[in-house]
Amino acid sequence: MSEKLLHKFLNSEITEAEMEILKASDVYREYLKIASHTSTMQTPSFNKERVRQNLSERTSIEKKKAIPLFNYRSLLKYAALIVLMLVGYFYLVTMDVSVTSQLAEKRTYTLPDKSEVTLNADSKITYNKNSWDDKRALTLRGEAFFKVMKGGKFDVETSLGTVRVMGTQFNVQTRDKHFHVSCYEGLVEVYFQNQSIQLTAGNSVIIENGKLIAEQTISTTKPGWMFDESTFENALLENVIEELERQYGVKVEINLTDKTKRFTGTFTHTNLEDALKTICVPLQLNYSIDDNRVIKIYEE
Amino acid sequence: MAEPEKEENVCKESIYNRLFTSLSTSIYNFIFFKCGNAAQAEDLVQEAFIKLWENCAKVPEAKAKSFLYAVCNNAFLNEVAHKKVVLNYVQKTGSQINEQSPQYILEEKEFEKKLQNAIANLTEAQRIAFLMNRIDGKKYREIADILNISIKAVEKRMSQALEALRKEIGNI
Repeated sequence: MSEKLLHKFLNSEITEAEMEILKASDVYREYLKIASHTSTMQTPSFNKERVRQNLSERTSIEKKKAIPLFNYRSLLKYAALIVLMLVGYFYLVTMDVSVTSQLAEKRTYTLPDKSEVTLNADSKITYNKNSWDDKRALTLRGEAFFKVMKGGKFDVETSLGTVRVMGTQFNVQTRDKHFHVSCYEGLVEVYFQNQSIQLTAGNSVIIENGKLIAEQTISTTKPGWMFDESTFENALLENVIEELERQYGVKVEINLTDKTKRFTGTFTHTNLEDALKTICVPLQLNYSIDDNRVIKIYEE
Repeated sequence: MAEPEKEENVCKESIYNRLFTSLSTSIYNFIFFKCGNAAQAEDLVQEAFIKLWENCAKVPEAKAKSFLYAVCNNAFLNEVAHKKVVLNYVQKTGSQINEQSPQYILEEKEFEKKLQNAIANLTEAQRIAFLMNRIDGKKYREIADILNISIKAVEKRMSQALEALRKEIGNI
């Protein structure tokens, strides 16, 4: 109680009555004496005016510093700046444009001629803005769906082969050595190694390790991944899991004795656990997810 | 409620001058409580206000006070720590002194000397808070704001200071 009153005193908020209470105690009387005496102490005088003078000298000097707008030195600086800007501009204009999608990201991009490309996860296209009018050619790593406006040739160059079209809709998938092109509309020509093959709408072709291994018909108008699903037919489990990693941005460890298991089916891009179940259950596998989102798949 | 007007910044001379008038003495005292040297305190308060002017475009008026105290604290970061700071104070002469007996006056002077020495033995934290309250007349709330501590912490420092002073001065 007295402690509280003491603080009230020190804050100049104490009443007469409360003062009497404090003074009743020896200890607190001593505190009061110490406190009061300290209040009569003063710091050495502060020459406020002199400091104010010094400050106004300093601050007016700062104000007087006018920046000369035009003299020889600054002319040189401006000239150098303009040259740098021009160089930068030319450099940028001739550079290639890249569009990238991250793990677990899909991205649609419009090219200068209004053709559209939608990238699946972890993919990249590169093209040159300036020469696009003359020659529509871009490089693709990964997977993308193309909607090409009518015009001249349109080339998609990949490390596994080139796809050439003339106004159409098609999907190109390149993952490792796996090259998969699907044509949804129009006509597509696929060049690989020293061969070429033509695809009409509703057809797709799989080229693995440089060899044509499958031609299939397709019944959909767009690839499954654009509807947030991945569909596989007799695909190596390894490739299925890689796509899962890409769509969800997770890491998966596979501990299996039989590494050649194949998967036919579809997994969703919108729910990781559902996706894992659709893959594991038919193959009699089990999975676990730890705190760091590392997934392990193992035999039951 | 209407949106507050965009703050005038400190570069406006009238605002800068106003800040100087209202804050310079407290800041001078604060530095003096820290270092005990009047000349150094005057230099540093001048430096602090110069820094404020140099940064006037970036410091809104409401933040000027904490800016100034921060500059002062920074100036001490390189100081050799824990030198015993003996502050030489000037004693206000009380009007009643003439009416007291010489014996009483002598005792009071003794007390004051003991008090000044005892204050020098306080920890820096206790000393600064205590003197800001007693000499500069600041309430706990303001001390808490300036030192960036809670009011409870200020209470603690004040209590500790008084206790330490009482113990050291001994029989009063």
